[in-house]
Amino acid sequence: MTAAIFYILSAAALLATLMAITRKNPVHAVIYLVHAFFALALIFFILGAPLVAAWEVIIYAGAIMVLFLFIIMMLELTPGEAARGPGWQRWAPVILLSGSIVVCTLLLMTAEPQAGPGGPNFYASPRDFGYGLFKEYALAVEIVSFQLLFAAVGAFYVGRGERTRRRARGDER
Amino acid sequence: MPEWLVTTILILVKLGFVFFLLLTGAAYMVLAERKLLGRMQLRYGPNRVGPFGLLQPLADAVKLVTKEDFIPSQADKFLFFIAPGIAAVTALLTFAVVPFGPPIRLFGREVPLVICDLNIGVLYFLGLSSLAVYGVTLGGWASNSKYALLGSIRALSQLISYELSMGLAIVPVVLMARSFSLTNIVNAQAGLPFAILNPPAFLIFLVSVLAESKRIPFDLPEAENEIVAGFHTEYSGMRFGLFFVGEYINVIILSSMVTVLFLGGWHGPLLPGIVWFFLKVGFISFLFIWTRGTLPRLRYDQLMHFGWKILVPLALVNVIVTGAILLLLNPAKG
Amino acid sequence: MITVNHYLVLSAILFALGTFGVLTRRNAIVIFMCIELMLNAVNLSFIALSHHLGNLDGQIFVFFVMTVAAAEAAVGLALMITFFRNRESIEVDDISMLKW
Repeated sequence: MTAAIFYILSAAALLATLMAITRKNPVHAVIYLVHAFFALALIFFILGAPLVAAWEVIIYAGAIMVLFLFIIMMLELTPGEAARGPGWQRWAPVILLSGSIVVCTLLLMTAEPQAGPGGPNFYASPRDFGYGLFKEYALAVEIVSFQLLFAAVGAFYVGRGERTRRRARGDER
Repeated sequence: MPEWLVTTILILVKLGFVFFLLLTGAAYMVLAERKLLGRMQLRYGPNRVGPFGLLQPLADAVKLVTKEDFIPSQADKFLFFIAPGIAAVTALLTFAVVPFGPPIRLFGREVPLVICDLNIGVLYFLGLSSLAVYGVTLGGWASNSKYALLGSIRALSQLISYELSMGLAIVPVVLMARSFSLTNIVNAQAGLPFAILNPPAFLIFLVSVLAESKRIPFDLPEAENEIVAGFHTEYSGMRFGLFFVGEYINVIILSSMVTVLFLGGWHGPLLPGIVWFFLKVGFISFLFIWTRGTLPRLRYDQLMHFGWKILVPLALVNVIVTGAILLLLNPAKG
Repeated sequence: MITVNHYLVLSAILFALGTFGVLTRRNAIVIFMCIELMLNAVNLSFIALSHHLGNLDGQIFVFFVMTVAAAEAAVGLALMITFFRNRESIEVDDISMLKW
């Protein structure tokens, strides 16, 4: 049963990725990529990493992709004319993908927990994960948090508007 | 009867109960809001349909269903069609992990009053609330109208910003309860609720939740006097109804999250647990309506400054202080 | 029977698709999304091997990869906004001079 779910999910991930890299409209690409991340999150869940699966949804689908969507919409990068024609056929892949992902989620939620395929019966609880992360990799956590700080400062510096820049130079009025 | 059949039936019964409760709750929340706002503004509110206007939600639903379902000619039809559904479904699904009462004994077996007690329930809630953004955003984008686009851009940036402080306000709760499971978090509050043990986190969470629900004073995505109706400008009929119902379901869900995370869930003296839970949810929902009747709308830059320069740093400091206090109270071994 | 090889093959195909996207697309945002996809393919192989070896380190590494991806998205998108302000376009062909 896990084998079937694995094949469905990998097919979904591959199809979603293929659609994502071929779409003309960036918003559509984002939608397909979100589907790919969902399929990957479920695969992570099969592999005994529920915490990472949750992050995949929260961080990738919920934050990074939303940020992309924000930029795309703010810069109005989408082609002015929305493509016409039968909407249903054009979006058939999305229906297929969402459908298969939902079915797999339901199957996984009702299936025996922790029944991993192959390999050792491995399941990382949040507690184990936390101990591993903050005991053995404490220094790396610090470095990564500094990196996030630098990124925030960098994004703020690069993205500041023309007005702020002029004010910094002191020639506003 | 085989064991699995009983379990399945129990889950279905709970599912039906919660579904029914949420939908009627959302419908009567609309009525309650109109009534209360009316009273606050020295009006009566709806009182024509049925006694005390109690059939008003039904009349509204009939009106919405029979209205013309209009799709703008330049719209991205599929996304336009699906977006209200995303908004409503993400709101509904969240309730799957909310424990709304203590376990009860039924037919000689322990039945937990929660549909699915995930051991990462908090993360499930965060994940779904971050996905709820898509409904609003794609709806606004697919309408192909400038007001809808402006509204959805506003919604996007507002939801991303306030989700951060919301997540950071949950961290102290997880630290204190030592678990991601909402049932365990409620059980950890059997003595004192976390709202009393950690008031800053409670206040930060309450404000962020107000912003997440896109209601006054944070209703910039649909600010009527600036951008018509924001992201649902082009929606009519039942599609608009879905956005509308989704918003009220969201209010109920967020109120129950406040209850579960900070007000001790079903714990309380005298009354049975389930009554306490719904009383607390009702109180927080009332708070939502009250704020709407009282506060003016923020300006956009005020919203962003408040989120990023006040709430997020405050939440970070709160995480550190809570962690330090917990470490002092029971020092780590090894 | 699904072995670790299946996951690694899936990861390799996803990585290749990401690379293909980076090389063929000209819209900088889509290229960026393809890079995220490649990072995710790597995450998949980390998690698959972590499961195979019964070792938590792979999952912890994925955590770091995700932080890097978030930081990268923030800075990269800020760069793109600045670029768009100056050039009214985000086609990578327009950035080939690296000056303006």
